[in-house]
Order: sequence, then C-alpha cells, then structure tokens
Amino acid sequence: MSRVLVPCHVKGTVALQVGDVRTSQGRPGVLVIDVTFPSVAPFELQEITFKNYYTAFLSIRVRQHTSAHTPAKWVTCLRDYCLMPDPHSEEGAQEYVSLFKHQSPSMTFPKWLSHPVPCEQPALLCEGLPDPSRVSSEVQQMWALTEMIRASHTSARIGRFDVDGCYDLNLLSYT
Amino acid sequence: MLQEESDLSLIIAQIVQKLKGSNLYSQLERQAWASLQRPEIKLESLKEDIKEFFKISGWEKKLQNAVYSELSVFPLPSHPAAPPEHLKEPLVYMRKAQGNWEKRILKSLNSMCTELSIPLARKRPVGEQKELLNKWNEMGTDEPDLSLFRPVYAPKDFLEVLINLRNPNYENGDSLSFRTHLGLIQVPLKVKDIPELKECFVELGLNTGQLGIDDSTQVPPELFENEHVRIGQKVLAEQDSAAAQQYIRQGSPTALRAELWALILNISSEPEDVLYYEQLKTNVIQHDLLVDSLIYKDVKLTASNDDYYFVFEDYLYQVLLCFSRDTSVLSHFAYNSASPPKSYIRGKLGLEEYAVFYPPNGVIPFHGFSMYVAPLCFLYHEPSKLYQIFREMYVRFFFRLHSISSHPSGIVSLCLLFETLLQTYLPQLFYHLREIGAQPLRISFKWMVRAFSGYLATDQLLLLWDRILGYNSLEILAVLAAAVFAFRAVNLMEVTSLAAAEAVLADLSTLKVMPLLQIFLFATVT
Repeated sequence: MSRVLVPCHVKGTVALQVGDVRTSQGRPGVLVIDVTFPSVAPFELQEITFKNYYTAFLSIRVRQHTSAHTPAKWVTCLRDYCLMPDPHSEEGAQEYVSLFKHQSPSMTFPKWLSHPVPCEQPALLCEGLPDPSRVSSEVQQMWALTEMIRASHTSARIGRFDVDGCYDLNLLSYT
Repeated sequence: MLQEESDLSLIIAQIVQKLKGSNLYSQLERQAWASLQRPEIKLESLKEDIKEFFKISGWEKKLQNAVYSELSVFPLPSHPAAPPEHLKEPLVYMRKAQGNWEKRILKSLNSMCTELSIPLARKRPVGEQKELLNKWNEMGTDEPDLSLFRPVYAPKDFLEVLINLRNPNYENGDSLSFRTHLGLIQVPLKVKDIPELKECFVELGLNTGQLGIDDSTQVPPELFENEHVRIGQKVLAEQDSAAAQQYIRQGSPTALRAELWALILNISSEPEDVLYYEQLKTNVIQHDLLVDSLIYKDVKLTASNDDYYFVFEDYLYQVLLCFSRDTSVLSHFAYNSASPPKSYIRGKLGLEEYAVFYPPNGVIPFHGFSMYVAPLCFLYHEPSKLYQIFREMYVRFFFRLHSISSHPSGIVSLCLLFETLLQTYLPQLFYHLREIGAQPLRISFKWMVRAFSGYLATDQLLLLWDRILGYNSLEILAVLAAAVFAFRAVNLMEVTSLAAAEAVLADLSTLKVMPLLQIFLFATVT
C-alpha cells in the first residue's frame, strides 16, 4: 500500500489569445499547460500537488479514453477552482496546493492526460491504490503524522549557547 | 471533509509534539502516576478515572490553556510539501528583502566590531564577574563610555527598506494610475477596510461597555465597571486563558491586569522558571557581549529619558541582558521571517560543529527596543516574572514589528492598513499631507514600530495593549494611528510643511485611546 509519483512531462505554458496576432502588449489572462504521461499502464490519480505563482483560478480538463473504439473525449475535472480569494492582493499567491480525487468526479485517468492548468510550476502526480479513496486519505494522514514526529526533534530547551564553554567568536557570517 | 480531517490530525500531532518537551508534560505525567494512589482510580476504568481526576483537580484546564496558547502563537501547519522557509514567510520576494536587510545589519555590526576593536563576545575575568554580581540590582548607576557605540539601526532606516519593497510580479507602471498606491507602501497585501474591522473588533462598539470610556469619573460604576470587575475576578478564579482573552477585549481593571496578562500568555511562575532566569543571569555574569553595550546605549537614550519609565532603568537591564542569552527564543524563528545571525568559534570558521548564533537569542536590538519592556515594569516587579512576560510578548507580537513579512500583523501590513484607512476615509487630509511633502506614514511609522510605547500616557498604553492581547493581533496599532490623524485633522489641514505636521502630532500624551478608536471605527460617517 503505497503512493508513488507518476512520471509526467509538463510542457511549457501557452497563452490563449484571440486571433492570430501575436502582441507583446496584451497580457492574456489564461495560460494553458499540457501534461502528458509517458508511462503506458493506466493508473488512478489520487493527488496533484503544485506551488502556485499568482494564478487566481484553476481548471483541469482530462482527455479520457473510455474504450478502444470510441474516440477520446475531454472531461472537465475542475472548473475555476479558486486559488487566490482576491487576485489583486497577495493572499494565496505563492501557496502550496494539493488537489484530491474526491474534489472531482471519480474516474480512471488514461495514460495520456492533457489539461489547461494555468500555473507555472511543474506538478507532482501520485499513483494511488486500488482501494477506495477513504483508505488512501487515512494512509496519507498516518504518513504525515509519522513524518512529522520523526522529522522534528524534541522541543525541550537546550540552554547552551557556547561550544564546550567557549563563546569566543569571529565576526558574523553572511551566508 | 477528508482534507479537513487530515488537517486536524496534523495540527494535533504538531501540538502534541510541542507540548511533549514542556514542563507541563512532565508535571502531568507525575500527577497521573501519583493519582494511582487515590481510591477513586480503579484499574478497570483507569483511563477514564485519570481523565476525571485531571478535570477536577484543574490539570485539564492547564492543558487546555497550553493548547490554546500553542494555537494562538503557532501558524497552522502548512502543506507537507512546503519547506520550512515557507512557514517563515510564504512570499519569496519578502524573504529576499528580509535577507538583504539582515545582511546590512550584520555588516553594520561587524564594522562596529572591527572599528572599535571590541570582540563580539568576551569571557569576563573573575574579578569583573564578582563586581557585576554585586552591582546587579543597580546597573543603572554605571556610566560606561558609550559615545563610540551607535545603534545598529533606527526605525526610519527600516522604513526606507519597506518603502522600496516591490513585488516582481506586480505591474505598477511608471506613471500614476489607479493601480499605483498613493502612499509609501507599494506591495499589494490584503488589508481590512472599516466594515471588516468593525466585524473584527465588535467588542469595541458603541453598545459595549469599555474600560477607557465607561469607567470615567462621570459614569456611575454600577452601570458597567463594577460588573466588569466582578466578571474579571471570576475569569481569574477559573484560570481559563481563552475566557481571559475574550474578557480583556473590553479592557482590564488595573488591579487584575498583571494576572490576566499572565493567564492569557500562559505564564505561571514555576520554580523551574525562576531557576531558568537565574541561569540566564549567570550567563550574563560570565560573558560580556557587544550587544550589551547596544542595550545600555538604548536604555540610556530612550527609557532613562522618559518621565514615566526612568525609574525602571535597572529592571530594563536585568531583563534585556538576560533576554540576549536566552536560546529558547530561537524557536520563534520557525514562524518569524527573520533568521538568527550566525558565527563561528574563533579559528573554526566554516566548521559546522563550531557554529553558534549571536547573540544567543538571535535578536539584535535596535534603537527603541527597550521601550517594549518599559511598560511591563508597571505590572510586574519580580524580575523572573517580568522577564517571562516580556519574552512571551516578544515572541508573540513584538517581533512582527521589525521584520519584513506578509503576515496581517506584520509591520508592512500595518503600514499599508494605516495608509489605506487614511486614504479611504480621510482623502482630503491624505491628499493635502502628500502635497506638502508630509507622507503620513513618515510620522506614524515610529508609533507603530514601538506599539505606541513612549508616545501615549502609560494607562492609555496599557489599555491599548489589553486589546492587542484580546484580539491576538497588532492591527489595532494601525487603526489607532489613523484615528489619531482623524482626531487632529483640522489642525493638520492647516499646516504647510512636514515639520509643522510633525509638530501637530508630536505630543500624544493627552490622548484617550479608546474613545478615539471607537469614534473612528463606529461613529464616523463613511
């Protein structure tokens, strides 16, 4: 029972613009990021994690193959998910965000995933369990707890500021 | 739903981890073991019986207070992928600005060190140690030659740094547009407007009794004051931090203030705390630090010259010198955008096992720093208690007033809140002052950085600090600053220079803060 990162290829951002004219003045408000999956086996996507950089709203669309014969179709998983409550101020502008499967209609993601995601940092995608999402979120909780407890040292005060009784110092360091 | 549950588990895990290292944890453990002797504790229902015992004996309340304290101080755990620096400050450009500012301070301190040929730290010879121990209660009588020392920085230097803060992703354009900020602060932080402030500070409203207004001599005490005092005594008897914090929003009776603040800050003077303070005192005796001279100089320049605070000069040394040696203060850097300065033992440059922080608590005092301690001397006379209260006030509130961060109680947000309030609700005044070259923030900045200490009369200052504790926020400082400008608006509209504007606002010692705040928030036509 483990979650793993799914190798994915994140393409560069493409601005959505009206017409053919490429202008450097107008700043389009919507950017698209394509994410593809080189691995062959189908997987169940549990979580998408990324760091925001001044994106206000996020939509995710997935291209699904339902069977070998029907053509693939685009499905919207997430529409206008708000990352910045006030886009003209700094709230949420550089936050780390996780999106979970339960936030969108559940489905199996095909090997090729393409979605318009206007955010500039690469995403980490996690392959899930065959179990229901409830179990996976509990596992996530336990993992987080044990990580925290293992990673942090005791909060007890140490007290000593010297090294073996010596506090004879050079100048202050800049690094 | 699932996300909230896992967030809660994370918060619980973090608090448990924090409290495990505390005195309270060992006390609870001892109490639990000792309780096994009691007849009402049965083996079959051990867990429930011990929990019941804790509830009755008041230990559960102590634990509740400790948890409440952790929740008030520490930010919520962030995303698992977020690195530690994200918790200190989420915006990269602010972190960079803070780093650059710190470098400047370090360079300044280093040059002072080399120019004056004084070491950063020096072990005192035994004779000097004895002398200092004898003089401990009257260090103010010392008149060391401090003429060569200069403060590392003054608030106005810090203001210049804040004025130059820019978000690289924010397009302001060179010309004035609706997007340019008219004030000095140019970063687009979210600040509250008056309707939001009214919601936030609802207990300061016109229909709620306040100390600072409804206890004045003309108002019969039966109307509000007597009942409020009675409730305060009840809150203290219950020893409930959360209740105390709610209560103090309406102000604290003078007689109860010291205990109430201690309850809210979760300070109880155990023998271990007194011992800890004595240990810090020993550290001061053994080592002399360069920052000690900076502290001396600051006290001599500020508190000693103040009519209200000069009597406390000796206390200030006893607190601030020990504060510099206190390594437990280092833990607040987890949520402070600042970082403690680092150095190496002489001859071991670059070797991590010989890396130390300087000063031991990581805080370099600036001009006016001692004014954070001075008002507390009116409330606490026992040095170790005074020390604990100051330390807790510092790691909860005061550190935000001199570090660059995007926190709503950080000085940058306070400055922007002040400017926005003035611009929105007193546009004529704001425009006039700008036109005459008297940007309002240049005058109010020093008030906010010092949390008004040294500018207001002491009883008024303590009423203000009651609300800082009650609302667990420093935003009230910005609101008061705007309210002061509103109060003196008529005179300010007539001045024609920055110097004249400063003169109008030079003396705040006659101001009554609560009526000013109440009128500005609740009685001004908007």
